[in-house]
Amino acid sequence: MDKKVLVSTLKKNAMLVVLVLVYIFFMILTGGGIFKPSSFAALINQNAYVYILGCGMLMCMLTGGNIDLSCGAFVCLLGAFGGVMMVIQGWGTGVSILLVLLIGIAYGCGLGALVAYVRVPPWIATLAGYLAFRGLGTAILRENSSTGSIGPFPQDFLDIFSGKIFKTAEGELNLPCLIVGIVAAALVVLLVFRTRAVRLKKGYEADSMGAAAAKSGIGAAAILLVMIKLAFSGGIPTVLLWVAGIVLLYSFITSKTTIGRHFYVVGGNIEAARLSGVNTKKIMFLAYLNMAILTSISAMTVMARFTSANANAGKNFEMDAISACVVGGVSASGGAGSVLGMVIGATLIGVINLGMSQISLDANYQRVVKGFVLLAAVVFDILSKKKQK
Amino acid sequence: MEQKKLNLSGFFQKYTMVIALVVVVAFFAIQTGGKTLFPGNINNLINQNGYVFVLAAGMLLCILTGGNIDLSVGSVVCFAAAVGAVLMKSGTNMWIAVFAMLAIGLAVGTFQGFWIAKLHVPAFIATLSGMYAFRGLSNVVLGGYMVPITDEGFLQLFGGGAKCYVPDFIRTMLGIEATKPNITCLTFGILAVVIYVLMTLRKIHIQKKLNIHQSIVGTVITTALISAVIIWLTFKLASHKGLPTVLIWICLVLGIYQYITTKTAMGRHLYAVGGNEKATALSGVKTRNVYWFAYASIGLMAGLAGILTAARAKGIDPTYGEGYEMDAIASCFIGGASAYGGTGKVSGMIIGAVLMGVINQGMGIMGVDSNYQKVVKGIVLLVAVIFDVLSKRQKR
Repeated sequence: MDKKVLVSTLKKNAMLVVLVLVYIFFMILTGGGIFKPSSFAALINQNAYVYILGCGMLMCMLTGGNIDLSCGAFVCLLGAFGGVMMVIQGWGTGVSILLVLLIGIAYGCGLGALVAYVRVPPWIATLAGYLAFRGLGTAILRENSSTGSIGPFPQDFLDIFSGKIFKTAEGELNLPCLIVGIVAAALVVLLVFRTRAVRLKKGYEADSMGAAAAKSGIGAAAILLVMIKLAFSGGIPTVLLWVAGIVLLYSFITSKTTIGRHFYVVGGNIEAARLSGVNTKKIMFLAYLNMAILTSISAMTVMARFTSANANAGKNFEMDAISACVVGGVSASGGAGSVLGMVIGATLIGVINLGMSQISLDANYQRVVKGFVLLAAVVFDILSKKKQK
Repeated sequence: MEQKKLNLSGFFQKYTMVIALVVVVAFFAIQTGGKTLFPGNINNLINQNGYVFVLAAGMLLCILTGGNIDLSVGSVVCFAAAVGAVLMKSGTNMWIAVFAMLAIGLAVGTFQGFWIAKLHVPAFIATLSGMYAFRGLSNVVLGGYMVPITDEGFLQLFGGGAKCYVPDFIRTMLGIEATKPNITCLTFGILAVVIYVLMTLRKIHIQKKLNIHQSIVGTVITTALISAVIIWLTFKLASHKGLPTVLIWICLVLGIYQYITTKTAMGRHLYAVGGNEKATALSGVKTRNVYWFAYASIGLMAGLAGILTAARAKGIDPTYGEGYEMDAIASCFIGGASAYGGTGKVSGMIIGAVLMGVINQGMGIMGVDSNYQKVVKGIVLLVAVIFDVLSKRQKR
């Protein structure tokens, strides 16, 4: 009996198992290098955009497997705008951030209107942006700089989107970071047990005591591990606050709010959703408006990370965000998927990238491995779910 | 009177993209003072866009099955061409190299199709992994450098180098001295028109026999217009260097795909799966095989496109083929294929591909900065589709 439960739990969380296995694999290959504090910091800094864009992409995909191809190119264009505003024109950081967000919102409204009200297939509407934005961004960068890249951005901008909070020297224990970690871990434990208590009270099916303990234990341990490692690498990366904030917000929206449920319903059966009184057009509009806003935030984190804007910024970001979602179990035809799944998918891809660059595998073979691991991960997931049925 | 008016607006709705194409061609002809219509430029248009037609034909089948796409084609083009180029460089016979390139394309397509068809791996992921993997492998095969192709026979046959035209054998047979126009090219053009007209007549005959009422006038006008375009095109090409060999390959591929989509059971199954997969499966169609067929076919086309790309560039570089998937996808969508599957035609795809090609070339001749070219391309794509969506909505 216990064995059966264990097997079915493992199958349900196949992607998490894959993540752990891949991690252990690279830990052996890198001789523990991927377990160093600096690797944890790198993993977060390098993949922050995947988590942020992944949340937006998730909302789009929930509505019926719709995607946004334009986000990578839009990151490049916004970078060019930001560079012109802050570096060339010397405008204030606050004003520039606001303007970048406004441009994002304007594009989101336009795109959302096209997709929801004119009913242009999202594929094409965003393919147009994919083609146009990088061209426009590159042209702006070329016109304003002989090297084709604009930088460096002012320090106060960098402080908001990159760097570390309460920075300490590397190798020293950063106390604020540790405290945040302990609090977060405690909250996770509390939340899991509270959910269980509420469900039991209402008479719903709930996790057994052991399952709840295991769930909260794994979650808390993961958070503690990451935060302790980060505490030794100089503190909490600023970008982690953005990522954590956005991930938590979208986790809340998708699981606890009516509007969040509407995204799933629209993706499940748009006609049924419409007949039940869901404003399906509004949902489609919101999905793309939301995507554009998150793209603007992600563009700023990328600008800050590289301290300059250049024509290659944002290349293939759309692919990364989509793969994070699909690897994380988001249905390519809509209606199913969770933020937690997307986070696991994004982390898996991040670990693979980081691990391969740490064993200094040739960049060409890296692509080959990435391709096959991506395929293998999804096949594994599908096979394990198939047997479950 | 009312009836006639309705027909006219119906005509505009049905042929929005054709009208858009005519407008765009006219626009660039005026802007460049007629340069875009020079025989040399028409010839370049065909040579430069050979790969788009070939890939878009394959892509159409994938899109028909339900808006599925193949992201890997750009990388597969590069990989197949890389292997071929390396083989030819080491002195392998060109036919073996050509066979190897096609076989690689087909093998990759079958491999990806296996996961998509048998295990229901999302097409996006299966082909995305191919996009990464084969780009990496191309680099490995080429060692990071451009590998040149010097085999004259190969270049000539697949549209590269200066002699990539069908030799004017009819002139040689007739023993005429003058060099222009190219008689072989004209003969082929006239032959094509004759065959086309005969086929239309046969269609009308069958429709009459089956009591299907179609407006004869409409058919006659369409046939006349298409014939006129073919004749015009042949005259242009004949007054340049003749029939580009690429055109033969394009016509061959388009002909086969037109046949598959309109006349075969497999073709109907592709549409049916895209329309409603479950209903199709319940009607006894092996939907898995339909997917498999679509992906194997685009793999093969990627191999052929690799051959054409390598020949045109007289070699292959690790970056070749980047963005080809987008060209192919855009051609299909501009040409009216539905992003949700089930609708789309080869003829529409051809219009889409030509439209993209004309815009690219027109802007090139006008000397528009390449970055702004991309911007214009994006806007045109969007405007074309909005136009299409709106005109179709009015029809309802």
